[in-house]
Formats: sequence, C-alpha cells, structure tokens
Amino acid sequence: MKNKLSRLAVPYIVWMALFVVAPIVMVVIYAFTAAEGGFTLSHFGSMGTYAVVFGRSFKLAFIATVICLAIGYPVSYMMSKEGKRFQRVAMVLIMLPMWINFLLRTYSWMSILENNGLLNRLFQSIGVIDLYNRIFGTSLEFFPMLNTQGAVVLGMVYNYLPFMILPIYSVIVKLDGSLIEAARDLGANSFNVFRRVILPLSFPGILSGITMVFVPSVSTFAISKMLGGGTELLLGDLIEQQFLGGAYNPHLGAAISLVMMVVVVLCMVVMNRFGEGEEQAVML
Amino acid sequence: MKKKNSAFNRTFTALVFLFLYAPILLLIVFSFNAGESNVVWSGFSLHWYRELFSDRLIMRSVYTTLLVSVIATIISTFAGTFAAIGFYSLRRRQRNTLNTINNIPMMNADIVTGVAMCLFFVAFFGLWSEFAVWVNSIQTVFQLPERLTLGFGTLLIAHIAFNIPYVILSVSPKLRQMDKNLVDAAMDLGCTWMQAFWKVILPEIKPGIVSGALTAFTMSVDDFIISYFTAGSSSSTLAMTIYGMTKKRVTPEINAISTLLFVTVLLLLVITNIREARQEQLAERRRKLPTATAAEAARYSRKHTFDGPIPKIAGGLAATALIAAAVLVAGRNAGKPVVNVCSWGEYIDESLIEQFEQETGITVNYQTAESNEALYSLLKSGAGDYDVVVPSDYMISQLIEEDMLEELDYSNIPNFSLIDERFKNLPYDPENKYTVPYTWGTVGIIYNAAVVEDPITSWNVMFNDDYAGNVLMFRNSRDAMATALLYLGYSINTTDEAQLREAQQLLVNAKRRGVYQAFVMDEIFGKMEGGNAVIGSYYAGDYLSMADNQADGVDLAFTVPEEGSNWFVDAMCVLKDAPHKEEAEAWINFIASTEANLANMDYIWYASPNREALEQYPAYYEELYEEPLDPEVYEIMAASQETLDRCEMYVVLPYETRALYNKLWTELGI
Repeated sequence: MKNKLSRLAVPYIVWMALFVVAPIVMVVIYAFTAAEGGFTLSHFGSMGTYAVVFGRSFKLAFIATVICLAIGYPVSYMMSKEGKRFQRVAMVLIMLPMWINFLLRTYSWMSILENNGLLNRLFQSIGVIDLYNRIFGTSLEFFPMLNTQGAVVLGMVYNYLPFMILPIYSVIVKLDGSLIEAARDLGANSFNVFRRVILPLSFPGILSGITMVFVPSVSTFAISKMLGGGTELLLGDLIEQQFLGGAYNPHLGAAISLVMMVVVVLCMVVMNRFGEGEEQAVML
Repeated sequence: MKKKNSAFNRTFTALVFLFLYAPILLLIVFSFNAGESNVVWSGFSLHWYRELFSDRLIMRSVYTTLLVSVIATIISTFAGTFAAIGFYSLRRRQRNTLNTINNIPMMNADIVTGVAMCLFFVAFFGLWSEFAVWVNSIQTVFQLPERLTLGFGTLLIAHIAFNIPYVILSVSPKLRQMDKNLVDAAMDLGCTWMQAFWKVILPEIKPGIVSGALTAFTMSVDDFIISYFTAGSSSSTLAMTIYGMTKKRVTPEINAISTLLFVTVLLLLVITNIREARQEQLAERRRKLPTATAAEAARYSRKHTFDGPIPKIAGGLAATALIAAAVLVAGRNAGKPVVNVCSWGEYIDESLIEQFEQETGITVNYQTAESNEALYSLLKSGAGDYDVVVPSDYMISQLIEEDMLEELDYSNIPNFSLIDERFKNLPYDPENKYTVPYTWGTVGIIYNAAVVEDPITSWNVMFNDDYAGNVLMFRNSRDAMATALLYLGYSINTTDEAQLREAQQLLVNAKRRGVYQAFVMDEIFGKMEGGNAVIGSYYAGDYLSMADNQADGVDLAFTVPEEGSNWFVDAMCVLKDAPHKEEAEAWINFIASTEANLANMDYIWYASPNREALEQYPAYYEELYEEPLDPEVYEIMAASQETLDRCEMYVVLPYETRALYNKLWTELGI
C-alpha cells in the first residue's frame, strides 16, 4: 500500500524541481558568471570586503534570536500550563499580528521611536528626560532610539517572536504528562523536572524556533532600512542593493546570496548535530 | 499535577502580549484620527474610511492580495497534504532528501527566493518565446502567445511555492503521530487506497491541515519581498502598495484598511473558536448524559456543526466559484486595453488616473520605484515590464545608450507642442525622439529654521559636525556623491577617479563621525515634517510638500547652496517593444495636457514643463485656495533662470565610472 500512496508525492517532486531547485540553480549560475558572460570566481574573491557586513548581520540576528528565545520559551511554557480556552485564545493572539502587514507594524515602531515620536513625547511629559539630564549632567531633548542597532534588533524581535513561540509551544503542549509525573515520583524537584525532562523534550521546538527567527533576521532589509536608518548595512540590504538598489550587479548579489545560504545552512547543520535532533522542524 | 502560573509569570506573559499589540493598537487608533499624522491626535473621524473606499489603487491591491492568498492557500493546502502523505509513504532516505529540498524555501532568505524566482521566470520566458515562434512558424492551426510577462500567474506560482512547505510542515507531524497500522487495517478490510485516504488518514491529520492552511494564508497576506520580485507590472499586492508608502508617509487610509482586515480576521477566528469550544463542551456533556438524551445531543450536534456533506459541498462550491470568478476577471481584463506605468512615490495627482480611465477606457496599472537606480535594476532584471517610465535625465541617456527605449510617435502626442522650448532637445535626448518632460526642479538643502539660527548657504553643513546626528543624506549614489562633489568644488559629472574617491572619503568620514542620522529617500518626508531631523538634502518640489505638512513648531526652509547644485528633468518614455505602445502614448498625451499639469503641480509641488501650466499656476492657485501664491514658493518650485545657471544637469557617466560609483557606494554602506 505504501508504494501506492507514495505516488502522491510525484506531482510535488516535479513542482519542486521546477520552482524550487531550478531557481536556485539560476542563482548559482549567476554567482559564477561575470557581467560580460563567462565563468568567473571574482565575485567570491571580493567577498572579504563585505566581511564586516556579514559579521554585523550575524551578530544582530544572533542577539535577536537569543532575545526571542529568552522571551519565547517562558511564554510558551506558561501558556501550556494555562487552561485549554486560554491556550486557544493565546494562539490566536500570537498569529493575529501577522495579519497586519509587517511593513506597517514596523512603520508603527518608527513613529513610536522617532526623536519626536510617541515614546520621547511620553518621556518628556512625565519628566524622564529631565531626570536623566539632571542625573548625568547631559542636555538631551530626546533619547535617540531610532536609527540604532538596538532599534533594528527590536524590529527583528518584534516581527519574528511569534515564529519562536509557535513551534516551542506546540512541542511543549504535546509533552507526555506521565513523564513529568514519573520524574516527580522518582524524587526530582521542579527545577530538575524542567532541566532533565521538559527542556530536552522541547529541543525540537527550540531548534525550529531558532531557525525560523535567525534566517529571516539575518537576511532582512526592510527592517534595517526603516529602523536602522540605512547607515549600517546588513546582508539583506547588501543583496537588495545589488538587485534593486543603487548598485546594480546581480552577479555579485547572487554570489553574496550563495555565500549567505551556505553559511546559514552550515549553522543549521551544526546546530542540529548539537541538538542530536533527528526530528524534523516542527511548527504549530 | 501541573502547577498554576504565578502572578509574576502571568504579568510577564501579559507584557509580551502588550509588546506585540502596542504598535497595532497605535495603528488602529490613528486610523480614526481626523488629521494626517501618526503621532499627533487631532480628533475622531471616519474620514479615512470614506477615503479608502474611493481609493481605487488601494482597493485593487487589496483585491489582488486576497485573491492570490485565497487561491494559493487552497491549492497549496491540497498539494501540500497530498505531498506530505506521499513523502510519508516513501522510504526514509528518499524522504529525508525530499524534506531537505522542501525546506529550501523556508531556510532561504525571502529576498533570495524572490530573486531566484524572478531570474527563473525571465529565463523561462526567453526560452518560451523562442519555442512559441518556432511552433507558430511550422503550423497555422493555433497560435501560441510569443510574449509572456510576469503578472498574476507568476505571483500565484510564487505564493504556492512558498506556501506548500508550511502545509507539509504542519501535516507531517500529524502523519507521524498516526498509528501506521490503521491504514493497513483499512486496506486489509477492503478499502482502496483512495478510500483509505478519505476515511482513515484525513480525519487523523485534519488539525494539521487546518493549521497548515491558516499558516499558508497568513504567510501569503504578510509576504512582501517575494511578491515584489514576481508580480510584474500589472498586479500589485497590498504589501507592495504599502511599501511604496512607508517611504513617504503612510496615509491613514492604510491604517484603515489594515484595521478592517484585522477586525475581520479577529471576528472569524473568534467565531470558529467559540464553535470549537461549544463542540467540546457538547462532547463532554454527551459523555456524561444517559443514552436516551445522547441520541438527542448527537442530533443537535449534527445540526450545528459544519461537518455534514452539505457544508462540504457548499465549501467546495464556494472555492470553485471564487476561482472561476478570478479566471473570469482575469479573462475580462485580458481583452481590455491597459497601460503599465512606473513612476515615483506620490508623484501624481491620483484623480488623474481615474479621469484618464474614464475618458479612454484604458486601465492604468500604476506602480512606483524608489530611485532611478532601482528602476534601472527592475528593468534590467526583467521584474518590471512596464510601458511608460519616468526616469530622470541621466538615466534616460543611459537607457537610450543601452537601446532600452522606444522612439515616440509624436503625432499621437499633440500636447507635446505645449512643452516649453527650454525643456526640449536637452542633452539627454538631443533630437527629442524618446521623451516628453514630466517635471523639473532643483536639488537643495532643507532645514528646520526653528532650530538652525543662521540661514544655510553652503553644502558644508552636510559634512561638518554642527548638526551631527541630525543630518539626512541621500540613499542613492548619484545624489549623495553629488553633494560631496559640489562641496569640494568639482563637477557633479566628473569621471576623475581621484576626485570621486575624495568625495566618497568625505562621506565616509562624516558617516564615521556620526553626522548622519540616516540615509534616506522618501523617508525624509516624515522625518523632516515631524522635526525628527534638522537638515537634509532633497528635491525642491518635495520640500514644498513637506512645508505644507510640517508639524507645529517645525519651520522648514529650503536653499540652493552657493556652490551650485543639480537641476533635473524627469521625462516620460516608452520602453522598447512595450506591448501597449498606443495606450502609452495616449497616457503621455493626457499627462502633458495643461489641465493635468496644473492638477499635478498643485498636488506634488513640482514645476511643470508645460508652458501654459507654468504661467497659469499662480492664478490657478489663487482661484482654488482664495489666496495669492507666495512668490517665494513659486520661485522654489519653478526656479528662475538665474538659479538654474548656477546648477548643472547630470549627464550619463561612462560604464567604468558607473562601476566605480557602484563600488564606492557599496563600500560607503559598509
């Protein structure tokens, strides 16, 4: 019977060959050809120039992922301990923000964080800025929050936090309660139950959460443009610049994309080894 | 037993939700704002909701978004479910390989997926066109279309392609949890594999399918980047429209549409949840009830759930109807004359588009690009297959040089005669074969005179520390380098590598010292209007628009510095082999008319090249607003010949210099 059901995979295999593999092959071809045509490795040779951008992107994405994990894990854990009805509502509430386009939500942060924005106005009216000035002897009129790396990280955390919560939650909520009881009966205290039972069992969720936050963070360009002010490029900006922006060079763009892809895949492979995760990524 | 959460833990969760919802609440609140600001509240009003329903561009993009999301979700839910079952039945090694490939679209950055898709489609269209020409040449029974373009079809394919993995991802775990023997048992008992699927597998994996569909739909609605590269010129999604706006000001209409979508989804989800909760309760009760009433409860539940055969058929019919409607709409539009226009953000009085459509019956697909360079990239990559574009002077030369423009038939554009002689036969198009000017103006420094005490007269403010952290610099290589070249006293058209490097070093140093708050294009509007930055260089017309919208306590001023500046002409051109050349020329003629130019001048504050419009504008203004036009404003809008004499026009740079620009510009970003 198995073989008959496996026929169902055939159309999608053809589809993947066409619309997943072939486009990637196009990128590879572009990365290895010069603008004038012909094979070249020169795009990869110039990659050293962009090491700073690679470093910055991976750093910010890493920080954002860690913060997402630090917020997302406890939230998922707490959610799973609440009643069924609360859980259902909470799941909806976590998915719901994605219904307002991310550009718009990020734009909303802009008006919150601007020098003359809502937060600074609030600080001003309740005297936080005066207090700060008095304590530190500065003469600030506002806290510069927008156009900083912090704002970019905030944007990443804000936009991708649901991607961390959803997979972790869906793993934790399915944990076998009898395992926890068994651990208790065998004398483990709550901390040990968490550390030796719940945490290891929720690893697949953590892993896919990390992937789903890290990958879009490392390659974002809209967030860094809007909240970072475009003064410090991220990888996404660099790629976008080559394809759509001020420096048209799709071959270089393809090469940078390729290097980014390889690095990301390597990170994921290493991480999956580390987690001994034979479970595939899980979501929902 | 599980312990309950402490108050501290609950507070923490509540704070996280507050963090997630604060910006959204803000959006919703400001959709009811009487004013245009996203920061200052000026009273309750439903004004923006009314505006929204008359804004055709937004409504059309909402329609496209919903259509593509619904169709993509339906198709990818079916395809993904079947594929997941297929994968599940494969041997482990094969399955792992396929799963890895399946994960590619999710593991890949959206931008790489988008670009890869775009490159693939363009390459495929090239091959197709050769194939179609060959087929058409060997037989006459049927004709294949020789020219395919990006559009709704490619957008749909792209959405399906990135949706299916999410469906598979949420269906697979359910399959793995299923008892494998169930299927075997069913088949031993005489089920065909189809029956086994419907009767055994499907009920088991249903929750996975539902959540997969939900995720797919959410991803589709939220996607911007992949759509941007695959939608072509004839369809734009809401996200693309929003992207065009987030750069300038987001009109509260967008807040309004988002609020509506948000509330609709909220209601839908609340309804389904209540229903589910009811069913659960009912099931619970049924278990406790004695048998007699259990039958009654079962009857009750059958009446009140959507699981019976009739709702299923109804659901199927609804989906079919929707797809049919989509095909019909697509078919109806296929016969209709259209013109695909690409211009800059907020660069037209949108009522003109409607007027043109009513007068001629031609549908206008109007999109925007960020800068000349971005437009060039769109054209080169094949992502933008427009009919009419409105590049600036130097980009026009470059497009002509690369044979990307079509010669115009001026007999179809009688209004060309109204263009002032000053703007004809300019160096970018010396014999005036390709262009009809759209606007012209100067580049200068915009500053907040409420903060800056002495009037600014020199470009040096863009590079010294006086206003460090409050200066906005151009985010395009040509304009940014020009400010530095002007300050250094070099020509803005220099090809001297040493001079260019010196200019770039000036920018690099200023950037390192923290002079620049941000590198911006149209984001400058919000930042200057709200008093969030003090100094920025931008275009004269846009300054007037900013001054018109400035917040209380902000007093914007404009100057063309003493070192001189750049003056520019943006002109309408038709792209080589444009499929709708006739419609394109009708559009150009319409826009070149005096009435259109007056409306445009009033709306976008850029000077018109139309002689009559330029002369009549002060009178037009007085009639409209019942107050005379400030001569200073008019001088900034339509700079005097004296000012223009201090300014230089960009000319196209040789290939090597352009490559150097790209390199220097990328390095500046690092």
